Amino acid sequence: MRRQVLRTIHFLLMTVIAVVCLLPIVWMVLGSMRSYEELFQYATQVSWHLLVPVNWTFQNYIDVLFDDQHPFLRYVFNTLFVASTVTVLVLLINSLAAFAFAKLRFRGSSVIFVLFMSALIIPGEVMLVPNYMLINNLGWLNSFKGLIIPSMLSVFGIFLLKQFFEEIPTEILESARLDGASWLKIYRVIVLPAAVPAMITLGIITFLGNWDAYLWPLVVINDDRKQLIQVAIANFTSMAGTEWTKVLAANTIATVPILILFFVLQRYYIQGITMSGVKG
Amino acid sequence: MILGKSQSLRKGDEITGILFILPAFILLLVFVFIPMARAFYYSFTDYMLVSGSKTFVGFKNYVNLLQDSKFIASIKHTFYFAIIVIPVQSAIALGLALLVKPQYKYTGFFRTAFFVPVVISTAVAGTVFKLIYNRDFGLLNVLLGAVGIPKISFLSNADIAMNGVIILGIWKAAGFFMVVFLAGLNNVPHDLYESASVDGASKVKQFFYITLPLLKRTTAFVIIITTIDAFKLSGLVFVLTNGGPNSSTETIVYFIYKTAFEQMKMGYASAAAFILFFMILIISVFQMFFLRSKVNH
Repeated sequence: MRRQVLRTIHFLLMTVIAVVCLLPIVWMVLGSMRSYEELFQYATQVSWHLLVPVNWTFQNYIDVLFDDQHPFLRYVFNTLFVASTVTVLVLLINSLAAFAFAKLRFRGSSVIFVLFMSALIIPGEVMLVPNYMLINNLGWLNSFKGLIIPSMLSVFGIFLLKQFFEEIPTEILESARLDGASWLKIYRVIVLPAAVPAMITLGIITFLGNWDAYLWPLVVINDDRKQLIQVAIANFTSMAGTEWTKVLAANTIATVPILILFFVLQRYYIQGITMSGVKG
Repeated sequence: MILGKSQSLRKGDEITGILFILPAFILLLVFVFIPMARAFYYSFTDYMLVSGSKTFVGFKNYVNLLQDSKFIASIKHTFYFAIIVIPVQSAIALGLALLVKPQYKYTGFFRTAFFVPVVISTAVAGTVFKLIYNRDFGLLNVLLGAVGIPKISFLSNADIAMNGVIILGIWKAAGFFMVVFLAGLNNVPHDLYESASVDGASKVKQFFYITLPLLKRTTAFVIIITTIDAFKLSGLVFVLTNGGPNSSTETIVYFIYKTAFEQMKMGYASAAAFILFFMILIISVFQMFFLRSKVNH
């Protein structure tokens, strides 16, 4: 009996917290499907229609996606392009390095590894001004180059992948070596397939990080047509006379694909956090 | 493992190894070490992006910063955020982890639900909460009003605006640290609880005498990461309050951004960035010292 009561309380408490976590998102999605007047008309007292639209409409989505002044679809494509390119390059460049640190012997490898790891404590926020001055000197301001190339290094990725690669038995690599396979071939045929879960983990962390990037595109890009989605969303609301239902529609467009990606791959994402946390 | 590694030593491998790390190493040099070194130099100059002047001024930027009331205020705001968020968020995260740890049919759903805010981007969360916090039409004030709490203008009152940032910050990050705590909790050997139950220890006693002591390492990790994150606070402030009202939510990173990209004072901003870096460096050194000295259970 007492056990039953405790379990009910436990369940109710978790339900309340889940509402706190999810309500802002549910409210955002539902709010994006109602008219501007309706959103504010029902916004002053607790009722069913505080959340649920009276007249469902997709007009906000049409307005956002086909707005000539703020080509939202373009921001989505810009962001997809930058985030995907960075993710592919991060996986390639950092897995090669991680593999070398895990399995190859070369002079200075441990010293160089420490150099890499020392960069872990320099946060992006500190790098903002130094990297901006560099990108400015290189003439890469206002270009995707300026967004992509400095993001190709992931010291955390090297750290994460090295742990995975170390688990691969060296004997397998050795015998492939004796059969005359080059290291590049061993990396492609043996190591990469074995490291798929780790690559997915790093891939999703990198992609999400770039999809969510705000500060760096804010300072690098000033041509509106090259802007990325997060800066565009933030700019939407700082304009006078914010059209809130459109903002909610833009937010929903920016969020739903990410949520789906997360639900499908959450196991890998969580693993990334756990590995950096427990072993950190 | 070590034996296996030494077996792989071949002469040709030396070149392969260097070639494999070369792309990453070039990036490390060009986009981390060189910009940091240059910025460190510029922090001793009066570098202005517009005029291009780069006169060496010694420690002047650092001395001026420590007397700059705006910079001092930004440090104070950042500390206020940190002092509240570190204990409150860590306690909430631990609470969440304890709630979702039992393996019932439905705990998996709640685990995911509590984590969802982590995946919501800063810009989206910031804009949505801007409207939720609205005094007249915001969801939060309607719900508070329903239980008789008078309207609060979370973002337009300089005395409480930072609290609005704090609530959003915790909403967004608690799920992340829940996962870290959960991993720590799952590392606590189950038989410890079993023998404690046999001895008749209550759940509360078990928590204080078994769980908390064994979670020391995880807790230290969570607190240090939360502290570093608090020092880096910027995105939420940019979107939610833009530093206002009345500069009450300007953080250190916000100050650096404004100095560099609105006033174009790159030398001065570099010096501020290095002060921030040294603060984070001290925390990181403390982290290494603290985590190394504790034996992993």
